[in-house]
Amino acid sequence: MNAASRGTTVAGAFTRLLEMLRPDLLRFAYWLARDRQVAEDVVQETLIRAWKSRDELKDPAAARPWLFTIVRREHARLFERKRLPTVDVDEVEALGDPALATDDAALLDLRRAIMQLPDEYREPLVLQVLGGLSTAEIGAELKLTQAAVLTRLFRARNRLRTIYGLEPVEDVE
Amino acid sequence: MSAAAPECRQARLYIGADPHHLPADIAAHVEACAACRRFREETLSLDGRLHAALDLPLAHFRRAAVVRTRRFALAASVVFAMIVAGGFWLFRPSTALAGEVVAHVEEEADSWNSRDNLPATQVAEIMRTAGAQFDSPYPVVYGYPCPFKGHRVAHLVVLTPDGTTMTVMLIPHEHVRRRTEFARDGMSGVLLPAGKGSVALLTRDGAIADSTADEIVSRVHW
Repeated sequence: MNAASRGTTVAGAFTRLLEMLRPDLLRFAYWLARDRQVAEDVVQETLIRAWKSRDELKDPAAARPWLFTIVRREHARLFERKRLPTVDVDEVEALGDPALATDDAALLDLRRAIMQLPDEYREPLVLQVLGGLSTAEIGAELKLTQAAVLTRLFRARNRLRTIYGLEPVEDVE
Repeated sequence: MSAAAPECRQARLYIGADPHHLPADIAAHVEACAACRRFREETLSLDGRLHAALDLPLAHFRRAAVVRTRRFALAASVVFAMIVAGGFWLFRPSTALAGEVVAHVEEEADSWNSRDNLPATQVAEIMRTAGAQFDSPYPVVYGYPCPFKGHRVAHLVVLTPDGTTMTVMLIPHEHVRRRTEFARDGMSGVLLPAGKGSVALLTRDGAIADSTADEIVSRVHW
């Protein structure tokens, strides 16, 4: 296989990787932004940036955390660039967003509860559960100590326990 | 589950933070402590629901016109980059088209859950909007004139005689030279030339029979 063929094969594989992960990138962007249109913009920018930076991805197995990191940064960049207003999620139409809709009332409640988690709890939780990032990777991405990551993840789940019908447990110091 | 001992509080911090991956000393404690074991089981159960909650269906992520333009721009930039990389897409247009068809169908995954026949008038309206004519041999249970690569295309789901659903996309502005089969993300499909355009068929239920594909294409006119 010559260099040109290798290049096209790699390019094709990378595109397939983006196609495969795009749905979860969109979901992650949505949980970050809580706005479908912003999420779509963020993912488009992410795909462009990922394409331009594809040589940085040495290990395809690391594509998911790598792309989630780009989504997060593009989301921050978009807010910085457009100076999008931040809003209280209680007032936001997002809670009635059809994107959250499901026939399962309990699942809908859980989605709404996740929407209402403070950013500091929601973001690491989604990075972990949807993105598959380890607590160490989350700490590196959010520039938090391991202890802080554990505490935030614990508190996120502890808040959601009641929605799931479980008793919350004693908070951690 | 309150007023826990210090070692239990520590264990619950780790369990609550990451119930799937516990350090060895925490795992040993959980093994020996019924209350912490129950807490872990509850948290693992909660996590199953968390996965389901975060795994949103993407059917509602249809883009507004201005955004579709941007998507098209993205596609163009990717195509350009691939041309620079070696002309891959120039020589494999059907592969790219198949990928876009799959991505589109995945965004409307709920379309495969429809079972009620669409009224003929509604199907006719979809065809009119999408600039196609199609006398479907099978009942149409879902249909929409979807935005696709800068145009409207008829995106239908039909109920086949064996009870499975099959997506039929009529794409008048994309010509493919030859029949191309593809499989991705649990779907199998085929792109078929149809006059000046093409037809994409997709199913989650095995391969699409040649006779089925041929019959559908024979009923498509632009």
